[in-house]
Amino acid sequence: MSGGVRRSVGALRVAAAQFRLCVLQALQYRVQFWTEGVLRVAWSLMGIAPLWVAVQHRGEVAGWGVGGLMVLTGMFTIMSGIYGAMVQPALAESMAHIRRGSLDYLLLRPVDAMVSCLTSMYSPWRMLEVLVGGGLVGYGVYREGVFSWEGLAMGGALGVLGVVVLYAMGVLMLAASFRALRLENLTFMLEAMLDFGRWPVGVFRGLLKAFFTFMFPLAVITTFPAAAILGRSQAGTFTVAVAVTLAFVFAARLAWNRGVRHYTSASS
Amino acid sequence: MSGLSKHFRVSRREAGLRAAIRAVFRREWDTVRAVEAVSFRVSAGERVALLGPNGAGKTTTLKLLAGLLSPTAGELTVAGHTPGARQAAFLRSIALVMGQKRQLSWDLPALDTFELNRVVYGVSHSDYRQRLDEMVELLDLGHVVTRPVRQLSLGERMKCELVAALLHRPKIIFLDEPTLGMDVTMQLKIRHFIRDYNERYGATIILTSHYMGDVAALCSRVLLIADGELRFDGDIDDLVKSVRPVKRVSVTIPDKRHRVGMSEYGMVVKREERVVLDVERGKVSDVIAHLLSREGVRDLEVTDPPLEEVLREVFERRRPSP
Repeated sequence: MSGGVRRSVGALRVAAAQFRLCVLQALQYRVQFWTEGVLRVAWSLMGIAPLWVAVQHRGEVAGWGVGGLMVLTGMFTIMSGIYGAMVQPALAESMAHIRRGSLDYLLLRPVDAMVSCLTSMYSPWRMLEVLVGGGLVGYGVYREGVFSWEGLAMGGALGVLGVVVLYAMGVLMLAASFRALRLENLTFMLEAMLDFGRWPVGVFRGLLKAFFTFMFPLAVITTFPAAAILGRSQAGTFTVAVAVTLAFVFAARLAWNRGVRHYTSASS
Repeated sequence: MSGLSKHFRVSRREAGLRAAIRAVFRREWDTVRAVEAVSFRVSAGERVALLGPNGAGKTTTLKLLAGLLSPTAGELTVAGHTPGARQAAFLRSIALVMGQKRQLSWDLPALDTFELNRVVYGVSHSDYRQRLDEMVELLDLGHVVTRPVRQLSLGERMKCELVAALLHRPKIIFLDEPTLGMDVTMQLKIRHFIRDYNERYGATIILTSHYMGDVAALCSRVLLIADGELRFDGDIDDLVKSVRPVKRVSVTIPDKRHRVGMSEYGMVVKREERVVLDVERGKVSDVIAHLLSREGVRDLEVTDPPLEEVLREVFERRRPSP
């Protein structure tokens, strides 16, 4: 096995072990477990409300009909679920580690410290949103009658790029928290900003459209994958998505390395 | 470690609202020289104590050695690796245990964190089982490992922290005040366990502790750090001899009338039923002979001055000679 593959397998094993630990934590307190479950189901269903309101009043939004909007909302719900289940808890936990100085233990593990941080906490119940989102995507595609394996594969690939961008944005925030210690609220702001991803990026014009494509790339996270599934991707979409993702990954890695280099730990 | 320095930039401001508002726009910085040009070498299997007052630079030195901090200047090699590069092979060979921080999952039994560490360090199931059983027995942990960590006593938690840190069988162990806040029995158990691990596996131990009992029981060599500088590197006995070239002679003299004239033998530290004297090393045998020939004297004991007193004297002197 080459070094890169071995490292990746190792990172996946650690991520799985960490996930197991978080599931055990979720199961540790029964009342909290069931409360969280009920809340997450209710939250997921409430997330569909804006779509319902929109289609009640308009037949389409920026060229997206009811079925298309369902696919887009489904994609948004999937991404929001992944963010809430995997990215946000890990960021909050890692930021707390940085503040308390217990990040020392994560940095001492013989695995990529960034992977250790990004897998340090999960909220398993929020994965329900991914299921609800998947259901919406399926129903939207069925309603539009546009199913194709190519579209699904392209949508899946773009969705993976979207998740990578989400993680990269998380790493940028984490790297910032090496300098400014109390940035947990940023993670909630990011989640609030993600809400714009419910709508196709085409509803924005000019600078705002560029902002949501390149700077805060909601287009890559929700619009591009949804459009691909619906078979309405524009030429060059995949290239733009790959370029934006690579730029974010590069910036995130750079910021992370710089952050860790300047990590001062906490006094004992 | 050669000429190693670590400087931190820390913000500074006066007290009060005006200063706080000014600091939001224009911050003033100080440079703290936590470690300054420190050089030493530790051999494999050695047990070494880093001693110094609070803020002396002990923990910073430990974190530099573990690769958690990057040095500002100087050269540092640990087991053939540059710690700051944090290569996997280096990280597999070390462990850090901190008395004031925990790696165990608070709400879960320690066993769950052990399993996570097994995966992180790639320890096989059979090795894991064997090492865990061995440490659970040595540390007398029994069912403790199956209870949620938040329900454990401080001592039980620290024992579990040790197990979590040592499951991958590291060759170098950094211990930062491992017995902090523990009762004497628990301190003894942990010291015994650390010593046993060092002797069994030839692991190098680098320890910081404010409990001189830890130091005396575990380490023969001490590195004295104060104000970020290395003030002494050597044997504990040599340190005691150089700072306090005396022996402490204690005798019990129940009758007050028999306690007169004690200052003839040396410096009287305590003049109660138990009389304590600091006597020059060259005169100890004569003093013992005299004391034993006196009426009403019993239970004579000769020891070195307590390490705490020796260190206090060192730290009170600004620049003691090593």
